[in-house]
Amino acid sequence: MTNCIEIKGLVKEYKTFTLGPIDLKVPGGSILGLIGENGAGKTTLIKSMLGITRPTAGAVKLLGTNPDRAKEDIGIVLDDCFFSEYLRVRDVETVLCRVFKSWDKGLYRDYLDKFGLSGAKNIKELSRGMRMKLSLAAALAHRPRLLLLDEATAGLDPVVREEILDEFLAFVSDEDHAILISSHITSDLEKVADYIAYLHQGKLLLCDEKDRLLESYGRLVCAREELEQVDRGYLVSVRKSQYSTEALIRRKADFKRLYPKLAVEPVTLDELMVFVVKGEKA
Amino acid sequence: MSGLIVKDFLILRKTLRSYLLILAIYVAVAFAGYWSSSFVGGFMMVMVALLPMNTFAYDKQAKWDVYGLSLPVGRTKTVAARYLAVLIMFAASAALTIVLGAVMNLAGRMEEELGEYLFACALCIVIAMLVNAMMLPFLYKFGPERARIMFFGVIGVIALVVVVVLIPLGGLEWLNSLDESALEQAAALPAAAVAAGLVLLALSFLLSRHFYGNQDV
Repeated sequence: MTNCIEIKGLVKEYKTFTLGPIDLKVPGGSILGLIGENGAGKTTLIKSMLGITRPTAGAVKLLGTNPDRAKEDIGIVLDDCFFSEYLRVRDVETVLCRVFKSWDKGLYRDYLDKFGLSGAKNIKELSRGMRMKLSLAAALAHRPRLLLLDEATAGLDPVVREEILDEFLAFVSDEDHAILISSHITSDLEKVADYIAYLHQGKLLLCDEKDRLLESYGRLVCAREELEQVDRGYLVSVRKSQYSTEALIRRKADFKRLYPKLAVEPVTLDELMVFVVKGEKA
Repeated sequence: MSGLIVKDFLILRKTLRSYLLILAIYVAVAFAGYWSSSFVGGFMMVMVALLPMNTFAYDKQAKWDVYGLSLPVGRTKTVAARYLAVLIMFAASAALTIVLGAVMNLAGRMEEELGEYLFACALCIVIAMLVNAMMLPFLYKFGPERARIMFFGVIGVIALVVVVVLIPLGGLEWLNSLDESALEQAAALPAAAVAAGLVLLALSFLLSRHFYGNQDV
């Protein structure tokens, strides 16, 4: 299986923020979910991968080649619709069919039908959700091999999100295809992502297979006294409130064997993020 | 690259429609004999000169630059597409101005000589080219909001230098030495001026490409 994304030592420095160094690989046929709080560097990472912002250091290979050469085979959806409000839905095709050699007019119209978008409609009149659908149709209509999606499902209702997630799963059924999707809707990522990368303040804190990540971490709910007895090596971070004490623990299976009487619950990606950001280091 | 040129015209579609409507009214007024044809031709070139600034503003509003740079076009071709769109706008409005002049002349509604009219229009085209050759690098470097202010600041400084320094020192005396007959004989002057305008636009393109090439969007 070849890697559709290979990032080595990527660094982007700003005056008040530094992204990286980031090392990341996304194999073909898989979806990488990129999570992190606002300002963690997710959009900067995507922009740096494409050369939209110039990385300070590091190397990026997309689809086995440099990003500029790969762009013909990349579909991108950013956190907003980037087509002028003065355009109509069908104008997007008029522009992009001249940009992408592999633009498929039939496929674009199929997506418009599927998403309930009329070609004659002004972009100005579209809701945020409809604009995101338009962006997705535009990203998919040239039959890309790699999709880079920045908050692509934000603002969509659950039914449409489900449809789009199915679309993504169908897309990666081809071993030659891959998706990197950044999202705050971690439940979507739990459904479709094969890998999860967690960015926090510009640094990649975690990057692993989603299932392994969710299996290896757990949420311990116990009394303060019980927590005192726990081996610190298992604790990642702790959240204490007036009524409860919770801890994020690593090596869940070992922990459960060692402390069979303590309740360890599965952790969600949301909880994982909250523990890292809000929890106290154990 | 042609896709980006088409995009510029599509986002300007509404503006172009309103310009054509205004132009139709002005032509009617000129036809009725209230305004000179040269004024209408000149007015059209002024309107066209300001169109590129609108494309930058619309792109900025839509955050197009971020998306545009993700397309398989490249920064140099992106800038080239914008300059070509500008040249097409100039060429189209110049053609329209010539046709307009010819129609007015044939209909006997032109007060001035056709040569004079064309000379005035060529002068306006060259001014529009100069304005854009200066303005486009500003737009690439600083974005539409800041560039607009800075550009008009520069124009103000140039005007001040002309009024305060050049005119009192007699630096523009040579203009008075150009009498009408000299201008009539200088048939090659408009063509030379347009050629000079094109050269300036080419230099301006290099500067814009430099700015855009090093920019983080």
